[in-house]
Amino acid sequence: MVLQNYVILQDNKPTRLHFTDHAIERRVITDAKTLKPVPRQTLVLHVDRLDGRAVEASLSTMAKGLADQFEPYLADKSYRNYEVLITQRGDEFQRRWTVMFIPLAGR
Amino acid sequence: MVRKTQQVETRLVAEYLKERYGNFPHIAKQPLGLVSEELLKTEGYEKGLRMQRPNRPEVDAVVIHPKWLIIIEAKVWHIVDGAAKLPFYKSLVPFTPELKQYKNLPILMELVVPWTNPNLEIMCRDNGIRLQLYHPDWINEVVTRVTEYGTRDYRLAREEKLRNRELLGLD
Repeated sequence: MVLQNYVILQDNKPTRLHFTDHAIERRVITDAKTLKPVPRQTLVLHVDRLDGRAVEASLSTMAKGLADQFEPYLADKSYRNYEVLITQRGDEFQRRWTVMFIPLAGR
Repeated sequence: MVRKTQQVETRLVAEYLKERYGNFPHIAKQPLGLVSEELLKTEGYEKGLRMQRPNRPEVDAVVIHPKWLIIIEAKVWHIVDGAAKLPFYKSLVPFTPELKQYKNLPILMELVVPWTNPNLEIMCRDNGIRLQLYHPDWINEVVTRVTEYGTRDYRLAREEKLRNRELLGLD
């Protein structure tokens, strides 16, 4: 078991993950431009495998562009049936995610 | 709040992929085309890739089917643009390093739209593009909201909402 609580995606580096559960959390963050606290919906995905290693960690995102790609898999938690390869690219509003869903064998 | 053009295609593609190709590996937002090895060497891998991003268009999705490599564009608003892009994207697939292991698979082009018209069908047929109608219920709601955006009633309601937000000190 690797001691790692949060998954941080790195630019241009594909990260292979397996998710076991998720939650939509409301978090208050400080807006970087106005410096005011603002509430934001956050998708939190629980990770039990990271690049082939067993972990107990979570991946959080407030980005609609990434969360939308998981949206169809949330209601029935069918992301459990896939390994997901996420490659993050770009900065700030130009940030994009290439997401590959790989069905697990024998699901 | 509704914007004039709402980003709904990511959701449309994600749902379509799960429903139709959920049993196969599928990739969303795959960059296509050459990556300059020289630039990667001189600028380093990450910076080199970043610098090349504007020259590498993204296809909405790629499905790795046992018989084909299927490239997918989905369009809600400008549906002809999707048909126009696909043949160009297809030409880049053999040069895409991320897809080189699938180079032996024939490439299928698929355009996913919530509605069609006879001219679009002619263009797709003539260019070897498979046209797929996919119309989830929520699309109607999005279209209604976007259509209402320019109306007087919507503008007045929005102005009132903004006034109330300001009065209540909400963001």
